Amino acid sequence: MTTTTSGNRQTVSVHGTEVELFSGGSGPPLLFLHGAGGNSGWQHYHEELSKDYTVYVPSQPGFNGTERPDWVYSINDVCHFNSALVNTLGLDKYILMGSSMGGWIAAEMAAMNCNNLEALILIDAAGIKPESGEIAEIFMVSNETRMRQRFHDPSQVANYENYTRDLNDQEKIIDHSNKEMASRLCWKPYLHNLSLPYYLNNVSVPTLIVWGEQDAIIPVECADLFRKAIPNSQLEIIANCGHSPAIEKPNEFVSTVTGFLASIK
Amino acid sequence: MSLEVFWFSEQPYGHVTDQDLESYESGRMHFPNTHFDPEKAHVLYNNYHEQYTLADEVGFDGIMSNEHHSAYWCMKPSVNVDAAVISKVTKRCKIAMLGNVIAVNDPVKMAEEIAMLDCISGGRIISGFVRGTAVETLHAGISPTENRDRFEEAHDLIVKCWTEPGPFRWEGKYFPHRMVNPWVVPIQKPHPAVWFPGTGSPESVIWAAKHQYPYMNLGSLLDLTKQLKQIYFETAQEVGFEPGPEHFGYLMRCLVADTDEKAQELGRTFLWTEGHRNRGPVEFNDPPGYQSREAVAIKMARPLIGTGTMGKRMSYEELQDAHNIIVGSPETVIKKLRYIKETLDPGYLLIYGNEGDMPHQDIMRSVELLGTKVIPALKDD
Repeated sequence: MTTTTSGNRQTVSVHGTEVELFSGGSGPPLLFLHGAGGNSGWQHYHEELSKDYTVYVPSQPGFNGTERPDWVYSINDVCHFNSALVNTLGLDKYILMGSSMGGWIAAEMAAMNCNNLEALILIDAAGIKPESGEIAEIFMVSNETRMRQRFHDPSQVANYENYTRDLNDQEKIIDHSNKEMASRLCWKPYLHNLSLPYYLNNVSVPTLIVWGEQDAIIPVECADLFRKAIPNSQLEIIANCGHSPAIEKPNEFVSTVTGFLASIK
Repeated sequence: MSLEVFWFSEQPYGHVTDQDLESYESGRMHFPNTHFDPEKAHVLYNNYHEQYTLADEVGFDGIMSNEHHSAYWCMKPSVNVDAAVISKVTKRCKIAMLGNVIAVNDPVKMAEEIAMLDCISGGRIISGFVRGTAVETLHAGISPTENRDRFEEAHDLIVKCWTEPGPFRWEGKYFPHRMVNPWVVPIQKPHPAVWFPGTGSPESVIWAAKHQYPYMNLGSLLDLTKQLKQIYFETAQEVGFEPGPEHFGYLMRCLVADTDEKAQELGRTFLWTEGHRNRGPVEFNDPPGYQSREAVAIKMARPLIGTGTMGKRMSYEELQDAHNIIVGSPETVIKKLRYIKETLDPGYLLIYGNEGDMPHQDIMRSVELLGTKVIPALKDD
C-alpha cells in the first residue's frame, strides 16, 4: 500500500470490518499497537520512527469509536483480528511494537507466530501477573486518578494540559468507547494471562523490553518477568519515567528503540 | 385490580454517620467494612424482622425485599435469604423480591432457590429480576460490559428451569450447563410472577414491557415516572397487549406518626444517605459498557430522563412537595398517597418505610398506622 512521509489517516477493510489506520514513512514495516486508553493518532515518536520505517498505527477493533465485530471479546480475539490486519496490509518481516495493553497483544501475537516478524518491542506491557506487586486498578477509578497513575512527572509531558482538559462531545464518545472496549478485553483475568509467560518461550526474534522505572500501573518487576520469559530479549529501564515513556521521555525512548533496531540489522 | 400496598425496608446499618463517610472517595466500595459491627447488626436484623411480622398482621398486601453489596445502607447481600425469613415470620402476605441480581449469580441455583422459597411460602413469591446497580457487578468481579448479556441469558435459563422438565442442556455463552435438572420447581404455575424494577432508565422499561412483566419504578420524580410509564404503554402497544394498573408499581419513602409534627421530625432521617448513597466516580455508578450504546442514545433523545433523583440535591421540603417523601399523620399521608394514586394509577404502592437510625418503636407505630388507617382508606376509594 502507499505511504506518506507524515501521518496519514485512512480506513482499511479487514474481512468486512473498517479499521482506522494512521501510517507514514518509508522503509521496513513497523506495526504499533496502542494501549487501553485508545489510539492517540500520529505522535511525535511515530514521526521520528517513520524516518527509517513505514509505521502503521491502527485503532484496535472497538476503540476510538470504531466498529467492534461481535466476536471480539478477548485479547486472543484481538490477536486473530490483528493477524488478518497484517495479512491485509501485506506486512512481512515487520517490527511489532506495543504499549501497555498493546504490548500484551503484541506479546501474544509473537508467541503465536513470529515467522513473519523481524523484531518485537514491548513498552510497559500488560500481560504478565506481577509476583509481588499488583497491576493498578485503572477502570474503577476517576479520570484524575488515572492521569496520576500514568505519568511520573507531569512537568515532563509536553502539552500536559491536553491530557486533563474537558473533552468535547465527540471526544467523550471516543473516550467512552475506549473504556468500554478495554473493560471488555481486560477485566478478568485483570490485564494478564497466566499462560503467557509459558507461551513466550516460542518468541525467537530479538526483543526489546522498555519500561518506565516509576510505572505506577504495571510495576517494573513485570519488565524483568518478560525478560526472563523471552529467550532473545533485552531490557531497558528509563529512569524518572512512568507508564508512558514514549510521551514522558520521548528522546530517550526513541533513541533506545532506534539503537536496538540498528543493533539487530 | 384493587390497589396493593407493600412494605419495604432496605435494612440500613443505621450507625454510620456523615463523619464516618466523608473522608472516603465513595460511599460504597471505598468505605471500609471495619465500620460494621456484627453484634449491632444482630439487633437490627431482628428489629427489621419484627417489622415484617407486624406488616403482615396489620394488612399490608405484601413485603418487598432487595439486595445490595458493599452498601452501608442495605445490610442484605442476599434477597433470597431475606425472603426465606419473610416466609417464616409472616403468614399471608406476598413476598416481592426486587430482586435477584441474576447476571452475577448462577442462574440454575437462582431458579432452585426461588422455587424453594415458593414452596416454603406456599406460592407467595413474586420474583423480581434486576441488573443491579453497577456496583453489584463490580463487587462481583464481573465486567460491566457483560452485565446486560449475562442478564438476558440468566433470565432465559431461569424461566426454562421453571417451565420445562429436566434434564436438559444449556449451551449458553456465560452459563453453559451440560445437565440441568433442578429437583425443586415452583408451586405457582407456570412460574411465580416476574417483576422488573428501574429508577430512570428507559431501557429497563422497554425490557419489562417487551416481556409483559410489571414495571416497578423505584422512587423517580413523578414527572419522569409518568414519562417512563408512557414508554411502557407505547412499547406494550407495539408488543400487542393492553397494559393496566397491574403492570405498574411505584415506590416512595413514607412514614406515618400520630401527629404531623412527630412524622416531620422522624422523616428527616430519610435524607440519611444524601450525598453519600451513590457518591463516587462515575466509573462506579455508570461504568462504560454497563449501558448499551442504544440506551445512551435513548437518554440523549429524552433529556428529562436521568436516574431518579440522583444528581439533583433536593431539600427535605422539596422532596415532600414532589411527593417523593411522604410523612405525616394518617390523614395527611392518605391525602398525599391519593394524589400519587390519581397521578400514576399504579397497581402497586411500595412503601420505603424506614431509613438510617429511625427508632424501631416509631417504625413499628408507622407500620401499624399504615396498616390500620392508611391502607384501608386507599382501598376504599
